Amino acid sequence: MNRLSLLLYLFCFSTLVGCYDRIELEQQSYVIAIGIDKTDEEGLVDVTFQIANPEVGSTPGGGGEGEEPKETVTLTGTDIISATTTANAFVSKELKLDHTKAIVISEELARSGEFLRVIQAATRTNQIRRGVQIIVTKEPAQEFLNNNKPKMETRPHKYYQLMLNRASEIGIIPDADVHRFFQITEGDADLFLAPYATTEIEEQKKGTTEDDYIAGNVPQQGGSSSQFMGSAVLKEGTMIDVLNGAETRIALTLDNTIELTDIYSTYKDPIKPKYRVAGSFGKKRNTEVNIDYKKNGTTKIDILVPFELEIFSVPSLVDYSRNEKNKEILRKSIEDELEENAKVLIKKSQEEYGSEPFYWSLYVRDNFKTVKEYEQADWNKKIFPTAEINIEYHLIKLEFGKAIDDTKLNEVRD
Amino acid sequence: MFPFLKSKNQTKDNNKDNSQKVLIYKEVEKNNEYIRQLFFAEKNKDFSFRTLTAKYIQKKVHIFFYSSIVNSEKIYNGIIRPLLEADGQSIKDVITIESLTEIKDFDQVVNQINSGKAVIFIDGDTTAYSIDVAEFQARGVEKPENERVVKGPKEGFTEALGVNVSLLRKRFHNHSLIAETALIGTRSKLEVSLMYVNDLVDQDILKNVRERLENISADNVSSIELLEQYIEERPYSIFPTILYTERPDYAAQFIEDGYIVLLMNNSSAALVLPATFWSFFHSSEDRYARFLFGNFTRIIRMLAFAITLLSSATYIAVTNFHSEMIPPDLLLAITSARERVPIPLFLEVIIMEVAFELIREAGIRIPNPLGPTIGIVGALILGQAAVEAGVISPIIVIVAALSGLTSFAIQNTSLNPSVRLSRFLFIFCASFFGMLSLVAALVIWVLYMSSIKSFGVPFFAPLSPHFKSRGDIYFRNVIKHEFWRPGQIKPKDKRKSN
Repeated sequence: MNRLSLLLYLFCFSTLVGCYDRIELEQQSYVIAIGIDKTDEEGLVDVTFQIANPEVGSTPGGGGEGEEPKETVTLTGTDIISATTTANAFVSKELKLDHTKAIVISEELARSGEFLRVIQAATRTNQIRRGVQIIVTKEPAQEFLNNNKPKMETRPHKYYQLMLNRASEIGIIPDADVHRFFQITEGDADLFLAPYATTEIEEQKKGTTEDDYIAGNVPQQGGSSSQFMGSAVLKEGTMIDVLNGAETRIALTLDNTIELTDIYSTYKDPIKPKYRVAGSFGKKRNTEVNIDYKKNGTTKIDILVPFELEIFSVPSLVDYSRNEKNKEILRKSIEDELEENAKVLIKKSQEEYGSEPFYWSLYVRDNFKTVKEYEQADWNKKIFPTAEINIEYHLIKLEFGKAIDDTKLNEVRD
Repeated sequence: MFPFLKSKNQTKDNNKDNSQKVLIYKEVEKNNEYIRQLFFAEKNKDFSFRTLTAKYIQKKVHIFFYSSIVNSEKIYNGIIRPLLEADGQSIKDVITIESLTEIKDFDQVVNQINSGKAVIFIDGDTTAYSIDVAEFQARGVEKPENERVVKGPKEGFTEALGVNVSLLRKRFHNHSLIAETALIGTRSKLEVSLMYVNDLVDQDILKNVRERLENISADNVSSIELLEQYIEERPYSIFPTILYTERPDYAAQFIEDGYIVLLMNNSSAALVLPATFWSFFHSSEDRYARFLFGNFTRIIRMLAFAITLLSSATYIAVTNFHSEMIPPDLLLAITSARERVPIPLFLEVIIMEVAFELIREAGIRIPNPLGPTIGIVGALILGQAAVEAGVISPIIVIVAALSGLTSFAIQNTSLNPSVRLSRFLFIFCASFFGMLSLVAALVIWVLYMSSIKSFGVPFFAPLSPHFKSRGDIYFRNVIKHEFWRPGQIKPKDKRKSN
């Protein structure tokens, strides 16, 4: 066989490869959100796919007038992946989960403990990214996805991207991707927090602080029909409670694995308690967690939270900026208030949950030489619930915005 | 069809045997007759001869030349007038023109006359004399067309060997800069000038070049572009191994470093060898521009190189195989644009790439007055109208235009086609297994490149294998900090003085 024919043979073989898993873009449908609901039958779940319609809103002058920006379909199946093929009975294109932004589970499913079985597929398939966010909804996920009709970001991927990003940046919901879920759940020591959302707007609470809500009772008029606020607490893959926005924020500030931007929040005005002082809370340094582990005694945990605060509104018009005495009072009051709130949450997690949502088990691990030893010591059953926890907030920088003086009320109204 | 696949068994060597030298006769009439037969003097209108009686010996003298390739004034003032008027002992005293060569046989006579010299026969003398009065018509020194610079000299080589040599000598005043001559071709013997600095050039490379020039058995090698193809090692290779440049300043830069430059009469360019990838990739302006800007241009060029090679191929790989890599906004935009396009994405890309090559080819060939048509046809019909008609999606126009446009940043006329061809190779590879096959192809491509040698010098030297050099690889150094000549060509004097 001479070299020429060898070359020809090679060329022939190259035509046999058949392009493997090549598929054109327009032959695929992109699922943006997956909803999972419990059914009456064990082992079966209702899977809802929210599919983006590429023709709406993506190109100026593009076609598809009168079409919806998304299509939401629900079917019953055993798991997410096989449901995508069943869905082709009524969806015309291949469903791709690569671009999924969120997995929405109903509170019912989360509380039943079945969620772990269904989400397990996410670790095996390469279709679901590890960065997909898990959202727990008060109502069934199917209802949430169908009712969720944003007014501005009508394209679903944009909505979830922006909504989840912003809300978790300011700490009213946690950043909860699939990867973190498995990390914490399989670590079997800490609690996993997932964003809590709903489209069922219920009784509206009034008169509390800016973040003392859970989804569904944030006073809202107009706008989108869905609310993201607070977090669902998942212990070992099962939901056990809901934290409100304020508690979620505290949990997130105590957790060093989560980045927060500056949070606008209000604090009691120590001199005129009728008013509240508003400021931007910044945590630039890590929370210091010192665990003094005692094998046969009470473990001591010392927490130090360094933070910065830039006051931008003092409605009581008390001079905190120039009066050093007042400033000291304010500083003390804010630190105390934060410590108080944190203590309540810590106590709750020690007594009610038997574990903590702050990912503190990380700091006890260096007391052990082997994984086995650590597992035997049992952080969430033996160490944490009985530990003696001291928490201290330390205000390292107090600023007063760009103007030092407030308006002098008595001069204005003379 | 594929001669490179056949084993080399015989080398052709039939043309060289039939040369037995005819010596010059003593009788001038016999010579006269022989020459006139040799040159078909009856038919050849521009073959001229003159008979006169030289005053200094009172003998008959015949002068032969081609009137079309000599300077007639020089013949009159330098040859005819002295012969008629001057006194002297020998012809050397009479004819005072700068070059006077003695020749003994008719082979030489033929060569000399063909290369624009006048040959004088004297009655009773077995030696003929050739006098250089050549004046081949050529255009003047003009701007190089294809290698433009903003900052730097604007002279280009021209189609006259003497001018080209002069342009190089002008840039490097040194007694050891040699312009060695070799004759190539069997039927038409043309001069090739090898220019090098004697105390820098590596003798092995020089010997190699001389041998390759001697081994050319073609009838006629009329220009440097053809010569390049006769002396290169791998004619089927996708990469050039000899640098072709229109710029005397760029060629002079290489001479200074110990490279060899080949020049010929009929080409407005020079060949520089041995060449490496970097000599194709760099431009002379990189050195003329100041340090920062010169290197900034390099970055831009590297970027352009990567874009033109890989943008279309990556687009195919990503959209056809790895849609998860595209950000959702872009993904939905591409998808919605593709919904109404009837052909597969791969074909779309091929159509646009071929269309771009068509525009380029047409743009080069189109007669000047019709030039603007290309813009209208290209931009309007292929771009806008095709998108509106739904034949291709708008994003393909962007991809093709980007990869086409960036290809112009590779200025070198030899490397540019290599890159453009490789692009198609990568497009095909990407359509088989996506990124997997694209990266495999890229690796093989780079491996192949690094296996090439140009006159014994590895293609990627001095980067790989490493040689001491002035560090002008990806980026160039500050001129004052360049201490070494390129080590890969083994210059005799490695250290540069700064």
